[in-house]
Amino acid sequence: MRRVLGEDAADLDGAAVSVAELDALERSVLATVDLPRPSAGIIDAHCHLGRDADGHRLSAPDLVEDLDRHGVASAVCFPADDPGPDGGFGAVNAAVIAAAKRAPERLIPFCRVDPRADAGAALHRASDGGARGLKLHPVAQRFALDDPAAIGAVRLAAEFGWPTLIHAGFGARPVAEATRLLLRAVPDARLILAHGGRGDARAIAGLVGDDERVLLDTSLATLSDLVLNRPARLCFGTDRPYGDVATGLQLVARAAEVAAWSPDDVRGVLGDNLRSFLR
Amino acid sequence: MTRAEAVRLVAAIAQCEMALVRRDAAAGPLLAQASRAAEGLPGGDLLSAAARLARDLDLHGRDRRDRARRKATQALCRAAAIEAQARAMAGG
Repeated sequence: MRRVLGEDAADLDGAAVSVAELDALERSVLATVDLPRPSAGIIDAHCHLGRDADGHRLSAPDLVEDLDRHGVASAVCFPADDPGPDGGFGAVNAAVIAAAKRAPERLIPFCRVDPRADAGAALHRASDGGARGLKLHPVAQRFALDDPAAIGAVRLAAEFGWPTLIHAGFGARPVAEATRLLLRAVPDARLILAHGGRGDARAIAGLVGDDERVLLDTSLATLSDLVLNRPARLCFGTDRPYGDVATGLQLVARAAEVAAWSPDDVRGVLGDNLRSFLR
Repeated sequence: MTRAEAVRLVAAIAQCEMALVRRDAAAGPLLAQASRAAEGLPGGDLLSAAARLARDLDLHGRDRRDRARRKATQALCRAAAIEAQARAMAGG
């Protein structure tokens, strides 16, 4: 085996980790996961490609190998936090779009921008290249979600017919009120709040309710946060390379048990909800 | 696993997860403690393995092997956390 728990087996072996033991533990986790799968396949809503400023990295071939290993049909992917010297994410957006063109059935490219760094031009370039959504990270790029520049980026994404995926986890400022303002400013926006809204989960669950313009991805979320929400408002995600597919599936399986989701609910979370969100 | 055991584990693992994310030297001792609390319980094998990996972990290592070991430790913690949360919410 070449990869286990999302890591390269050779790297683990080089770090004196028993790959066989780790593989057995991953299999023991997956043995507890019995999920009905959507007929059109599982979609991972949250993957980073490239090399992040914090050292995390993931290549497109390694991501596809992880998807294959776990029977995941496709993944939304966007650049890691590597904005480049001009802060515009130009090179890494182009790299993600190019990777998706090499694996069009597997990788769904979103672009990433700093809203205050000539985002309009970056979004137009990404749209021309074939991007299908926008990723915003208010913590990494240090902006407020209700900043006029962020609202402008989301508005342009909506004009393109794109959803916008927004970091709403570790380190996030209060997200719910800013999201409410964002939706008021851009009524036709479609938002995916990452990590189950972990950074502001109770307030976000109250905000989202049945609002069909918002999904919460399950990547690195907590179980207690996820079950606050209707399954129709959730979509599966892993946050590769920060998270891994096995525990991502385990989280959905345990949430389905705790909240007594129906098989159709589970299929929705694993792919159908996001599929209807992507145009 | 009783609900009390599950709640204890949820709290213990949450500390481990944050220490690993923050690359805090407390991660190893916290994992050893959580592993002892999980002995004989569901998910105990995951935490035991995580604690062993954490013993010689270079939390600040930039080498890809250091990173792989740290990420594997985090994944094992996460799996144990999910299991403990589910048991706590289901009533143990």
